[in-house]
Amino acid sequence: MQTICFHFQLSQLYRLRTYRFFDINEKHDYFDDFQNQYITTRLAERCYLPANQMLLELSEELGDKMKCSFSIAGSSLELFRKYRPEVIHSFQKLLNSNVVEIVGNTYAHSLASLYNKSTFLEQVDRQKRLLKEIFDIEPIAFCNTEEIYSDEIGEWLYEDGYKIVLTEGAKHILGWKNPGYLYCNPYQPDLQLMLRNFSLSEDIEYRFSSRSWDQFPLTAEKFMDFLKTTPQDVPMINIIIDYETIGEFHTAETGIFDFFKSLFRMLANSTDFRLVSPSDVLAMNMKPATLHVPWPISSSSDEKDVSEWIGNELQEEAFKQLFKLEEYYAASKNEEAKKAWLHLQGADHFNYMATRWFPNQSVKKNFEVYSSPYQAFINFMNVVNDIELQLKK
Amino acid sequence: MKVLMFGWEFPPHIAGGLGTACYGITKGLAKNNVDVTFVMPNAFGDEDQSNIRILNASDIEIDPRFSEFYNQTQNISFIEVNSKLVPYVGLDDYFNVINQLKSGHFEETKSAGKRRYKFAGGYGGSLMEEVAHFAVIAAELAKNETFDVIHAHDWHTYRAGIAAKKVSGKPLAVHIHATEFDRSGEHNLNTVVYEIEREGMAAADAVFAVSDLTRNIVINKYGIDPAKVHTVHNALEPNTKETKRKKAVQEKIVTFLGRVTFQKGPEYFVEMARKILEYHPNVRFVLAGDGDLMTNTIERVAELGISDRFHFTGFLRGDDINKMFGMSDVYVMPSISEPFGISPLEAMQAHVPVVISKQSGVSEVLQYAIKVDFWDIDAMADAIHGILNYPALAKFFAEKGAEDVHNLKWEKVGKQILAHYNQLVT
Repeated sequence: MQTICFHFQLSQLYRLRTYRFFDINEKHDYFDDFQNQYITTRLAERCYLPANQMLLELSEELGDKMKCSFSIAGSSLELFRKYRPEVIHSFQKLLNSNVVEIVGNTYAHSLASLYNKSTFLEQVDRQKRLLKEIFDIEPIAFCNTEEIYSDEIGEWLYEDGYKIVLTEGAKHILGWKNPGYLYCNPYQPDLQLMLRNFSLSEDIEYRFSSRSWDQFPLTAEKFMDFLKTTPQDVPMINIIIDYETIGEFHTAETGIFDFFKSLFRMLANSTDFRLVSPSDVLAMNMKPATLHVPWPISSSSDEKDVSEWIGNELQEEAFKQLFKLEEYYAASKNEEAKKAWLHLQGADHFNYMATRWFPNQSVKKNFEVYSSPYQAFINFMNVVNDIELQLKK
Repeated sequence: MKVLMFGWEFPPHIAGGLGTACYGITKGLAKNNVDVTFVMPNAFGDEDQSNIRILNASDIEIDPRFSEFYNQTQNISFIEVNSKLVPYVGLDDYFNVINQLKSGHFEETKSAGKRRYKFAGGYGGSLMEEVAHFAVIAAELAKNETFDVIHAHDWHTYRAGIAAKKVSGKPLAVHIHATEFDRSGEHNLNTVVYEIEREGMAAADAVFAVSDLTRNIVINKYGIDPAKVHTVHNALEPNTKETKRKKAVQEKIVTFLGRVTFQKGPEYFVEMARKILEYHPNVRFVLAGDGDLMTNTIERVAELGISDRFHFTGFLRGDDINKMFGMSDVYVMPSISEPFGISPLEAMQAHVPVVISKQSGVSEVLQYAIKVDFWDIDAMADAIHGILNYPALAKFFAEKGAEDVHNLKWEKVGKQILAHYNQLVT
């Protein structure tokens, strides 16, 4: 019997307002409250609330045969608390139904793991405290921002108490190996790795409502057939997708909700598959194979590297200028500025500065805020400049 | 493919971007093996000597004095309709000819053998008169020349184009480098010019607009059938010599280069400068150009008390432009309405980062440039501040901008125009 893990990710960005150079050292309200509220509300109504409701109903119907997991960035949780607390309540309900596991991740969907251990663990531990506070949980599984992972990041996480990490089944790392086996960190063999099957994941995430796809329309039956074509001796299939896939990337009219409902029903009642969460996999005590990941991998487009966020000179510069403030962060008592610094590490801020997809931007273009990568860079740097002044005070 | 082309100016004797664009277009067409006969009111004889050979024709009896300039591929010939021997032809005579054209029955006027007109060229006081006479010459030429297509650049030459079309029956393409809406704005239109423009576009078999922005104006403000209006973006001649970075002052330099007229938005440049100087007194602003708003601009600068940081150079040409780019840290084009705008491309070629208004045609073809609304002084100031203060951004533009421009070639433009010609003749 193969295990199937459905893992959903939520990460909302604290969007920046237009922050001009003449605001530097004058104003410290960096975030676009209107946009943040609008997008949080829109996603809550189109995706989070109805999808949670769907999962709750499935859990009542299917009992413990139903299983899935989530990573919810702290920035999303903060925005829910501020604008739509009922989203938090519905996650608490799901958690109580025992069909859902929430795993650890970074507080602000941060790229800190690409900078150094201390900034990364600051994000991870802050998120840990937040999860404890809101859900009263202490996760042992972890899914990093955009599934970024390397041997080194794995070691940091193991030291921090995590036992299993979800990351990308990047082809350039796997070679001939199949993402459906359990792997482990070469230096910390007790840190297990679950790898994403990106082709099956992206069938749902990107292609579900794409009419130009030769498999359109994707039905639950068809997807079951896809699952069955994986070799029988492969123990697991891990589907990791953004939660916004349900209702936002693919709206309710595309039939995405019905797709998931019947897919979960079929999987729960199947004799070939079993739905699991990451801690179930850990409990199975499988023997993992070693996987070397010397350079960071991620779920980013085709390259599966980190060039989507740190790929051009502007992104490199912004990254450098932001993270060099770490020393002032540690010493500062200005909680507002400190929090802002954490939120500025959000991967999407760097996404906006990408020039790779000229002239078309990435999947996230729905929420595009800047008219060009340069305006994104300038705005970001203006804010960084003010935060620097505030942290140093 | 042989083309009879009418233009008003040609480098080096130019007042703006029109001549530069005509030069590029003829060169691009030549590369695509199109024979171009370029007719202009007043050729000086020193037009691009490196590419063109001059042949003097001695026949000055009936035809205007003839001098042909061949480029290396011998595809461009110039007809100079300028001679000191030319007697003056009055407007009455001109309308005689026009009436004959309208009746479809063209006969040589009694004085045809000796009829000549001395064109001053340029854009002086007798412009309208010259425009009319140019049409007479065009009709004359159209009788004697062999060609497949007529191509006329900007309103001064449209009547010439129409006349040539009536005489020869060949298809006419008019090329819109600017419209009266760009030059004067909605509320200041010169209705005579507008009417000449509209007449030209309506009579033409194809209208080439230098940008989508201009194409929309042609369609919406002149009521031209969208099916015959095609966008043909301009390009840029590759720079033959490297621009040397050489600055005599410590401060960063922000440059405006263009005519100081309503269309170019110099007042936004001044207001933006004030905004930056409030926070960063160590920046200098250069306004390079001349025009009817010069006095107002100088007065405004004085009023704001920023004259010590503001420099007026007057009109620059040739090497001086290059020197100016060599000193500049940012080039700004805050145009209110810019059909295309070649000069930001020249700045980028010289590795100067550019900030351009979204209301410009050139913004349609550029990726490595910051684009802002001309009226959004805050955004413009912020963009310039960003380039001056975040070195990674300036470096990025300096490198990538030149690549961006490198891909804009006149040869491609020529190919595009040739494709439209081919449609016109079939």
